[in-house]
Amino acid sequence: MAGITWHYVLKFIITGDAAVGKSSLLVRLTDQRFLANPDPTLGVEFGSKLIEIPEEGKIVKLQCWDTAGTESFRSITRSYYRGAAGCLLVYDVTSRASFANARSWLADVREHADPHLTCILVGNKVDLCEESGEGTSSGRREVPTEEAERWAEEEGLLFVEASAKSGRNVEAAFEQASRDILDKIKRGVFDDDRSPGVKLSRPTNGSLALDGASAKQGCCS
Amino acid sequence: MDFLSQTYIALRGPTGAPQSAVDTIAKLSDRLSPSTLLADRRAAVLSLKGLTRDCKEDVGDRALPGLIQVLQNDAEIDADIGKAVLETLHQLCEVDDATKDLALKHTDYVLANEQVTHTLFALLGDTNFYIRYATLQLLSTLLQNRRQQVQSYFLKAPSGAPSVIAVLEDKREIIRNESIVMIQALISQSPDIQKVLAFEGAFEKLFNTVSQEGGVEGGVISLDALRCVDGLLRFNSSNQSYFRETALPSLLCSLLLFPPNLLLQEAAPQEFALQFWDDQKVANVSLVIGIMGMLVGSKGGSGQESTIFVRCFVELALGSNAPTPLKTQALRLLPSNLSFPLSVVILTPYMPVPETNGEEWDRLEPASALDVLVELALHGEYNGLYGDKRVKEGLELRGAAVAVFDNFVHKEEIKQAIVQGMVPSEETTNAPSISPLLHALCLPPSSPLSLANVTTTHIATLLFSHLLASSPRSKALARSIKPSATPVAQGQFFVPADGAPSAPQPVEDDDDDAPQSVLHLLSENLSLCFLSRSRMEGTDDREAREWDRLIVGYLCLLVQWLWEDPKAVREFLDAGALGVLVEPINQTAESESIVPGLCAFLLGLCYEFNRQPGEITRATIYPIINRLGVDNLVGQMTRVREDERFKAVGPEAMVLSYPMHAPLGANPADAEGEIWFDWAFVDFWKSNHYTVQRGLAMDPNALAASSGPSAESAMLISSLRDVIRSQAQEIDDLQNKLKGNSVGESQLNDMRSRIVALESELQDSEGKRKDVEKEQEDLLVLLDEMSTKRRRDKERMRGAGLEVSEDEADDEDDDDGDDEE
Repeated sequence: MAGITWHYVLKFIITGDAAVGKSSLLVRLTDQRFLANPDPTLGVEFGSKLIEIPEEGKIVKLQCWDTAGTESFRSITRSYYRGAAGCLLVYDVTSRASFANARSWLADVREHADPHLTCILVGNKVDLCEESGEGTSSGRREVPTEEAERWAEEEGLLFVEASAKSGRNVEAAFEQASRDILDKIKRGVFDDDRSPGVKLSRPTNGSLALDGASAKQGCCS
Repeated sequence: MDFLSQTYIALRGPTGAPQSAVDTIAKLSDRLSPSTLLADRRAAVLSLKGLTRDCKEDVGDRALPGLIQVLQNDAEIDADIGKAVLETLHQLCEVDDATKDLALKHTDYVLANEQVTHTLFALLGDTNFYIRYATLQLLSTLLQNRRQQVQSYFLKAPSGAPSVIAVLEDKREIIRNESIVMIQALISQSPDIQKVLAFEGAFEKLFNTVSQEGGVEGGVISLDALRCVDGLLRFNSSNQSYFRETALPSLLCSLLLFPPNLLLQEAAPQEFALQFWDDQKVANVSLVIGIMGMLVGSKGGSGQESTIFVRCFVELALGSNAPTPLKTQALRLLPSNLSFPLSVVILTPYMPVPETNGEEWDRLEPASALDVLVELALHGEYNGLYGDKRVKEGLELRGAAVAVFDNFVHKEEIKQAIVQGMVPSEETTNAPSISPLLHALCLPPSSPLSLANVTTTHIATLLFSHLLASSPRSKALARSIKPSATPVAQGQFFVPADGAPSAPQPVEDDDDDAPQSVLHLLSENLSLCFLSRSRMEGTDDREAREWDRLIVGYLCLLVQWLWEDPKAVREFLDAGALGVLVEPINQTAESESIVPGLCAFLLGLCYEFNRQPGEITRATIYPIINRLGVDNLVGQMTRVREDERFKAVGPEAMVLSYPMHAPLGANPADAEGEIWFDWAFVDFWKSNHYTVQRGLAMDPNALAASSGPSAESAMLISSLRDVIRSQAQEIDDLQNKLKGNSVGESQLNDMRSRIVALESELQDSEGKRKDVEKEQEDLLVLLDEMSTKRRRDKERMRGAGLEVSEDEADDEDDDDGDDEE
């Protein structure tokens, strides 16, 4: 045990319209299971996971705050934008409306969050298009991949299509975003502690290192 | 003061005539309007502030709108006016005894919309000391008056959480302390605010404060900060899982000087075990272990973290010099399905050196946590050092230890293992060393009673009943325990590490009787107690009460032991118990209601479960019950339920205040307490007393209503019955099917034979048909020959000129004609 169990702690927020599958993405990430019938999130919920970015040789601890998509909580969830290093902007590929609303969510994020925040656009529920894809023309998909890709490029967002149900691309989405943040750190965009969403693992002394050790065993076993 | 006097001079006017306060306030209020100069507004606010103390209502009525306007427009720009207006508003909204409604009215006006609250949270970002301080005070007051309103505005405030965290980080202690107070009110009962603040890093900031203040040694600031942490975590699972992710849980251990990575086989360090304690530190530590207990109790805790916390609780309660209330709290915080290996963990108990006022401590021999726990329950802290005083606090601790023991022996295997340990082994000829629990249980009652011994024996009955309750195997094992008459010197268990261990002095046994079984001993002790108790009647209330307590302890244990154990009932009756029980039921002393009721219950129980052949049969007991009167017995049992000592017992509360002669002005910490029942017995009684009550009226030959099969085996039997029934049903079905199949087969055979018959028939008819066909063909050939011959004959006849009938020739012609066509 090297003493350090993670190099960075990154704070993420997950945002987007109600019922696009934000909580399911988080549960898929943290528990590797599909949340079949989730209740709507009230306020925010917390989840965390250790991931490894092999090409950087870094272990990153993701702290994710899953926010409520319901309009009535919007003012509460805004409080979380400022402190985040990364943001998953989620829409539902079978709902045109959720994609259209992504613009207003992005505007919200831009207004309240750190300007260096890394944002990744995630089209969720692609499993629904695959299931019925062959028979009826492109299934229930309402947002073409190309369109979303184009918009993400215009806005300077990363982009991925994922499915919380099948697990496809879920971890990849977080990894992609983390990689981008690490890259920004390397380029010196954040001065060590200037972004509230990024924390270096503290120097290992005494109890903190010991806790790191216990956290590792707790998470990886 | 400059402004004040200038304003007064201006207002006084040229005549110098005195003005009423109302006029002055009206004029000052006018000056608050933005059209005046800033300096004038500042002067007006200061004047109004001065007037607020005496004319709160008038200032509120007239100046409040103007003041709020000033707050929103000027406070940010000019620190002086900001401070003044904040302080004025604070005075207007602060609730004091006389003007509660007024202050609330002002608060409601200030909170009429979200503007003011948002302004206040924005002002928190101001680094000016007075602005920050006054804003915090005003926010605290508003929160105190109308918490929910402020909370809902806070969640919408654009910079709410970051500025709150910013003040928490303020280097100036006064502001930081004030902010902790404000945050306590702000997070109260609002999971959303708790989460936002956790997200913004409130935990780290609060623990920084705690560390700066000196950890648990810190004063009231540490306490408030820890309270904030508690408030952020309690009932908030999202924050709890976030908290677990941080480095802070192990910091909690470190705060208590407990190493967060202590291995199970390592001993806890002395600096943890022996500390100096004062009231403030007790309060702080109580909060810390409360937080730890919350993390242990809630779901999702990682195993390792929970284990270390549980270990910390165990060490604190059993191997430290922490004050009694903390030890009690630590024991109560242990999780309800305890899986901590108490019997494996070795810890080092300490004893205070006499006459050193708790400054010097003796280290004792290491012992297993389970042994120390039992010792604590039996004798109290520090091996019964304060056992004869029976302070309520100490009893609470012992009660908590009993509960933990109950919790620990919940598993059947552990129960049996412990009871097995008390059974004399066959191989060794010399008497096995007697366990402290058994020794305490069998302590003969001596007159006059020693208070410490009564409590010890009473608690031993409680512990022993936990071992036996609802475990037929343990009961069977316990029947074979024969405590040797060699008593262990009390406290032999605790041997000072530096002193030579005092060898137990073997006491010469005078009578060479075979050792008695525990059940025999108990019934003997019980009857001894009744005897002593009857002598005590009317002489010494206090001692009589103690005898009653001892009796109740024995009875409760016997009730739980004999329940559903006919063999034990037989042994108990053979020990001459019937007479012991009947007498107290007969004596209807008004003062005591519990003992006769328990005796009645035990008698009914003996009747109900007396199912083993023996000298005293159900038929022997039946007339006794009838003579006592079933109604009378039931009535006495009912009185137990109505007794305060029974009713007051709850799952968490078993220690009651001692009712008699509390000296006036005594320190509440020194108040005397007493224990009668524990929750396990109360629960047992409530669920089973009806069975006994019904059993009393049964005919001796009647089969027991509940005897033999317990509820569990009854369920097993019924489920097995169901299985059998369904299987029988299945067999029937299959047989029916089989029958159906055989019918089909015979039919099939019939069919087959018929087919064979039909086939042969068919062959016959086929043959016949062929014959006929052949015949017909022959005939046709013949016919053809005939008709050819005939035509030839006709030709010949025509040629011979003979007349030939035409019709046939026509036929031929026709035929020919047809052919031609």
